Amino acid sequence: MKQIRMLLSTAMTLAMMLPTALRAQDNATHENAVDALWRHATEAYADKRFTEAAETFTRISDMGYGSAELYYNLGNAYFKAGQSDIGANGRPFASGELGRAVLNYRRALKIDPSMSDAQYNLDLAVDYTNDTEGIPEFVMSRVWRSLRDMLSSNAWAAISIAALAVMLALATMYLLSRNIAMRKAGFYGALLLALLFIVTTLLAASQRSVELRDDMAVVVCRDTAPVHSSPDSETKVIREPSQGVTVTVGRTLGVWSEITFADGEKGWIRTADIEIIR
Amino acid sequence: MKGHFLRRVVALTTVLLCMIGTAAADGDVSFKVDAPTITPLGSYLRVAFEVDARPDDDSFEAPDFAGFDILAGPTVATGRQTYWINGKQTVTESYTYTYVLMPQAKGTYTIGAARISVDGRSYTTKPLPVEVIDEGDQSESRSNRNNSSPEAHVAKDDIQLRIKLSSTSVYKGEAVRASIVLYTRTSIATINNVKLPTFEGFWSQELPAGEDSSSREELDGKVYTTYLLKEYLLYPQQSGALRIDPAELTAVAQVVTQSSRGFDPFFGGQEVHNVNRKVSTPAITLNVKPLPEGAPRSFNGAVGQFTMQGSMPPSKISVNSAASISLTISGRGNLKFIDAPSVAMPESFEIYDTKTSDSIKVSAVGTSGTIKYEYPFVARSSGEFRIAPVEFSFFDPAKEQYVTLSTEPITLTVTNDGSAAGITADSRTLTSYGEKMKQLDRDIRFIHTESGKLRREHRLFMFSPTYFLLVVIIIAAFVVIYAVMRQRIRENRNIVQRRIKHANKVAVQRLRMAERYMKQQQRHPFYEEMLKAMWGYISDKFNIPVANLTKETIREELYRRGVAAADAELFCEIISRCDEAQYAPSTSNSMEEVYADAMEIISKIESIVKR
Repeated sequence: MKQIRMLLSTAMTLAMMLPTALRAQDNATHENAVDALWRHATEAYADKRFTEAAETFTRISDMGYGSAELYYNLGNAYFKAGQSDIGANGRPFASGELGRAVLNYRRALKIDPSMSDAQYNLDLAVDYTNDTEGIPEFVMSRVWRSLRDMLSSNAWAAISIAALAVMLALATMYLLSRNIAMRKAGFYGALLLALLFIVTTLLAASQRSVELRDDMAVVVCRDTAPVHSSPDSETKVIREPSQGVTVTVGRTLGVWSEITFADGEKGWIRTADIEIIR
Repeated sequence: MKGHFLRRVVALTTVLLCMIGTAAADGDVSFKVDAPTITPLGSYLRVAFEVDARPDDDSFEAPDFAGFDILAGPTVATGRQTYWINGKQTVTESYTYTYVLMPQAKGTYTIGAARISVDGRSYTTKPLPVEVIDEGDQSESRSNRNNSSPEAHVAKDDIQLRIKLSSTSVYKGEAVRASIVLYTRTSIATINNVKLPTFEGFWSQELPAGEDSSSREELDGKVYTTYLLKEYLLYPQQSGALRIDPAELTAVAQVVTQSSRGFDPFFGGQEVHNVNRKVSTPAITLNVKPLPEGAPRSFNGAVGQFTMQGSMPPSKISVNSAASISLTISGRGNLKFIDAPSVAMPESFEIYDTKTSDSIKVSAVGTSGTIKYEYPFVARSSGEFRIAPVEFSFFDPAKEQYVTLSTEPITLTVTNDGSAAGITADSRTLTSYGEKMKQLDRDIRFIHTESGKLRREHRLFMFSPTYFLLVVIIIAAFVVIYAVMRQRIRENRNIVQRRIKHANKVAVQRLRMAERYMKQQQRHPFYEEMLKAMWGYISDKFNIPVANLTKETIREELYRRGVAAADAELFCEIISRCDEAQYAPSTSNSMEEVYADAMEIISKIESIVKR
């Protein structure tokens, strides 16, 4: 009787686990394919076959995978491919590779804002564009931003959770201990951890909202794209951003998108000429 | 003795002078033959043997003129020239032996070597081949000449202009020689209205005119006298079929005709006419082949055959001293189009302008000579530097391939010795290399070869359900732990309280038990119960486990709670007495006494330590 019941329970457990196991196997084959693609792409890059590397990294991205390293490498591949792609006007990046490079560096930094290589390469790539300087920030907000960009929102959230746990442990110590020194340590420690908890929670929330932003876009076009004063090609061209200029997207009207430049200037651009940083 | 020596010197000098004299005579004598190398059948030719010294009498031996009839000769002509150069008189004499010959048949015949002796020394001429060609029947044109106008005396093809190219197919940049030659079968008085081609697509350089510009040549089966008007070296600057514009000129031919008036008493019935004839060269094209693919990186347009020599600075120089690398490129080709090969100098070297000096000779075979490049520099920081080999590439049209020459790599040790002190402060402040690393160029950083955590989507943890769940779990855990701990502490405190409260009661119960044993006179259980009562009382009263108790701690604990030292001592003493009495059979002190003392001290402590 007892044996039958055990058998039954085992069978049930297996039946419940089977779909999970199958999915795991499916994932494993998928990951092997991604690994092969990754190796192929990095080898192509090392062999200076940059266009091929860019295509392969894009395939990984198209399969739904993403990481800061993937976008960083994709940006590099576009940048290198574009450097030798001299157009009819004698300028490099003839097929819009610079815009794609900037876009992918920004994507990498969105996932991992502390990735210094991506920031370095982004700064270098932006030097090739005609992007304008942003409005200067206040010192405090700059400090806050650089502190925030040290970690991703997930990391800040993990720290805040840990701070909460330690804070409550110290509070317990303060509340229950009969030893004066322990109580003191518990009290002040808990106070400090509470402060840490609040700050990291705010940082995490702030970083999360940055990571969730989908109104930042990069101009991706062959050379330069005209920006009109109204959503109408007959109106005056107020600016001609080159590929790789980063803008903020506002309203959308037909094929037109309202954009704001870093220096606050607004205009309308064809939506096809920009790509949102997701 | 002395006279003898003098005589010997004089004799020696005389011998030497004589030797110089003969040597000079030997070197100067030239004996050569002058005759056209080509001649038409049916017309005579003149052969002259010329010697520029006085020959020994009757020493001239004429060669065998096989194939020719001797019409006249030898006629001897002498010439004498006297030069005064720097007050020194030089006399040159020349003797010319001339024959007039008539070829017997067409073919190639050789005029053999003539022999002559000057001052007993014999000289010979080189045998000279002469080609005799048959121009066909000339009688028609001859008869034509006899009647009509002077124009008709100059046949259409009697005067022709040609551009002759040394090669019809060359590589771009390879020199080709172009000669503008006038061919004539009549005597030319003068030429005018000369229009020379512009040589479009070429870089042209005129060659210096040679001394002897006329000769005889065959053209279309006829013998012409040729005059070399101009000669150029052409360097094609582009590839493809390059057309050379025709050259034009008007030649004035002199024609002697029989006077149409029949009889002229003085001039013998002959008149001289000038006939203008405008001639131009046929248009010619030169096929210029482009240079083949696969030019080396250091190739910058040099075509020809070159050699390179590098002269390197000493391998050890001191800081702030000047040195230079020099390269000498010599050979034949388009030397004037060569750019200075680039030399990769270390960053800390101060490099000055390259000096170029050349000595280039233009001759019929092409431009040849040497170009010297000098690369001066000043080493501004010490250390060991390696200068990459200097490369120079050129295209060799003969081998049809690129050739790259390179110097040895140069290793240069720049020492920081005392000689730097000699440099003025001015130049030292000018340069501050080597203090800070310079950013040479910027490039993006390399890719990350590790894929990192490739995720299907970027999950946000902040404010996610997991996040809130974790917060709730942590807070709940805190609340539960706190509540449980608090409860347990409270319960613990209650137990202690009760024990303290009941300490006296427990002690009294145990003492009663002891009293019962006392009445039964059971010594061992009595003392045992007494000890239990005493130890247990302290343990309960002060909440100290029995195991942790000693007489010392009891004494201390009692004293701390305000019990007099004597009483504490008494308490311990009672314990000692019980301990002793428990195992000693003797009845040194009665049970009653111990019991009374214990009762008394416990009630005393109880009254003092009241909680």
